[in-house]
Amino acid sequence: MMTAFARTVILYFLIMLGLRLMGKRQIGELEPSELVLTMMISDLATVPMQDFGIPLLAGVIPILTLLALSMLLSQLSLYNLRFRELVCGRPAVLIRNGQLQQETMRKNRYTLDELLEELRSQGFSGIGDVKYAVLENSGQLSVLPWTGQQPPTAAQLGLDLEDDVTLPVILINDGRVLHKNLNSCGKDDAWLRKTLKREGLSSPQEVFLLTLDEQGQVFCVKKEGAP
Amino acid sequence: MKKAFLPPIAVLAAILAFSLWNSRAMTVSTDRWRSQLQQADALAQAENWPDTVATLTKSYDDWSRCQTWLHIVSEHDAVDDAEAMYRRAMAFAAARESSELRAELADLRDQLRLLAEMERFSIKNVL
Repeated sequence: MMTAFARTVILYFLIMLGLRLMGKRQIGELEPSELVLTMMISDLATVPMQDFGIPLLAGVIPILTLLALSMLLSQLSLYNLRFRELVCGRPAVLIRNGQLQQETMRKNRYTLDELLEELRSQGFSGIGDVKYAVLENSGQLSVLPWTGQQPPTAAQLGLDLEDDVTLPVILINDGRVLHKNLNSCGKDDAWLRKTLKREGLSSPQEVFLLTLDEQGQVFCVKKEGAP
Repeated sequence: MKKAFLPPIAVLAAILAFSLWNSRAMTVSTDRWRSQLQQADALAQAENWPDTVATLTKSYDDWSRCQTWLHIVSEHDAVDDAEAMYRRAMAFAAARESSELRAELADLRDQLRLLAEMERFSIKNVL
């Protein structure tokens, strides 16, 4: 039992570290090489986890090799476009200027039913509404409708709107003060105490969430059950 | 070469170096144990039982010292089988059972050859 426990812990952290090193894309949209890697790693990890007759190293070495190879291929893909195309493939345009690209669909083994289903799921009733549809390397279909099918933007309407999009920074998270964020906003503990007092609070422990945006707006959520 | 290539290449090189070292170390160790067993076999054939037992014990001690390493790099079944054969051979030597001992030593030498064979980098193993 202890062997299973220790092996599981080791393999779990090894895979977590590996996926973390692979970057964020690994967890989200998978390209063919990444899908293969994820499937192989998950399979490799379970074998020594369950079969104690196999040394842990028999699982660790293939996993490390796969991760290192994958990192190497990723780096090569960054520097060489042809290599990237070879490993990741190339996005395929299935609809161009409202015209179905039948040859491209055949090459990608993408059926008309699949295309229509994907268009419907993205809110388009027919091919006529779409100017471009691109099958991405991850397998997702990106749909770009004709301008007439899109809601008008403020720029298209000629409206001069004030830019009020800001990125709030979390200063208190579930009672804990994030001093790094506080300093990066150019604020200090004295400012925080004053702000809390203004919100009717005496200490950060009473706060569930406190954010500050670029325009100086403070957003505070008190902890449930706090006085 | 870009710095970013170094970590994966270093990991791959380390794994390759470790695998080659392990293969070499396994061959050297199993050759040593097989030679000790060959010596015990010759002594048993000459009915020199005290020296047979001493040689076998010495070989078993040498083998036992490498147990952790063997369990880390080899399939446990193969290592455990060899361990059981060592113990049986020592029991046969203590009981002065010549024919059984010599058969067991032959099996054990074969098992040790198999252990080294499993770690060897060869087309046969790769395919």
